[in-house]
Amino acid sequence: MGEQETLAGPLSLIAEVTHRCPLHCLYCSNPLEMQKASEELETADWKRVFAEAGRLGVLHLHLTGGEPLARPDLEDLIAVGRDAGLYVNMITSGVGLTEKRLAALVEAGLEHLQLSFQDVDEATANHVAGTRAHAIKLALVPVIRKFPLAFTVNLVVHRMNLDRLQEFLALAEELAPDRLEIAHVQYYGWALKNRALLMPTEEQVRRSLPIVEAAKARLRGRIQLESVFPDYYASFPKACVGGWGRQMILIDPAGRAVPCHAAAVIPGLAFDNVREHDLGWLWRESAAFQRFRGDAWMSETCLQCPRKERDSGGCRCQAFLLTGDAEAIDPVCRYSPHHGMLTTLRTEQPTQLPVWRG
Amino acid sequence: MNVNSIPVLARGCRLHATRDVLLIPEGTLELEGPARDILLRVDGSKSVGQIVAELIEEYEGIEQSAMTTDVLELLQTLTARGAVRVAHG
Repeated sequence: MGEQETLAGPLSLIAEVTHRCPLHCLYCSNPLEMQKASEELETADWKRVFAEAGRLGVLHLHLTGGEPLARPDLEDLIAVGRDAGLYVNMITSGVGLTEKRLAALVEAGLEHLQLSFQDVDEATANHVAGTRAHAIKLALVPVIRKFPLAFTVNLVVHRMNLDRLQEFLALAEELAPDRLEIAHVQYYGWALKNRALLMPTEEQVRRSLPIVEAAKARLRGRIQLESVFPDYYASFPKACVGGWGRQMILIDPAGRAVPCHAAAVIPGLAFDNVREHDLGWLWRESAAFQRFRGDAWMSETCLQCPRKERDSGGCRCQAFLLTGDAEAIDPVCRYSPHHGMLTTLRTEQPTQLPVWRG
Repeated sequence: MNVNSIPVLARGCRLHATRDVLLIPEGTLELEGPARDILLRVDGSKSVGQIVAELIEEYEGIEQSAMTTDVLELLQTLTARGAVRVAHG
């Protein structure tokens, strides 16, 4: 295929600097098995990784977790990221963030901060987050707005709050971010355990669409609104992470190089570590990154499908989680023999009690 | 946006130091033709008219009206994308 000769470097590096988090969200995307604080990479390891990322052509560095603020060396990490030429974004719960700390982070070179909200209603927001974070987040917004960095508000939507989308959007509009994302919960990691509680009904999704369109029109020129159609209601799969091993590399708190957030669920994948290899080697040579790169693994249906250039056969983790076969067509695709499973999930709508992570 | 407007890059948007891309939150915008040279002059102090005047000195043989159209088109596209805003005017 000539894939090795033409392989471009990754565009994004997701640095999960810790799995420690003050929130215990029902929809947490982190893997079921989290890395312990004692196994976390040292400051020097991350610094080397970010410098290597710059040389490899990475453009965006996403500092996430867990809660990145739990790392006392976050300021250093941001500065090294900027020195390497990377655009530095931080995804945070905001819990524990003071004006003084934020000033230090911005001084170090932080360019974009993303804060998610769990609901417009405080009781439900705290219920979903597993802690009393909603009021803290609200109080933090005017502090964030004092600084010259881009600010994104992320509204995480699911069955428990999708009916309040109108009010949720009104709250977000008041917070006046530069960007607003409406993000449906994706069923990976811990979130999958709560799918029967979180998956919206078809009716809810149908009602939400004109609300989103109206908000886009209303906010144009003021707030950049981005919204992704919920995967389980689609007829074709998403282009997950822009294709396996094509655009994104994730380093977990213990240094493992992983092609996406959820990849650890796929049996038989071994992840090499930044403690033993440089980022360029991991990207090019690591077996986990090569596993679904290109189309050699694809079914006949995908190989002959003109959409394969667009979606690479969909999400490998989702294919595995729903069918038990990581090489299967993503069941979101209408051409998947398992697509009926989603039709069933959409109409049956079982429910369950919430399961929080410890 | 018109020739008297003073454009500025939006918060969290910057030109890459060496590559022809504008880095924006959660994305990159590829820059073609004179786009980089235009954006290098978008600093919150120069008006569109001043930017055009500088560019026609640099790009010989391009008429002012054509350059004005190019500059306004790029800035309007980026404004719609949230990457540029009008500082004054």
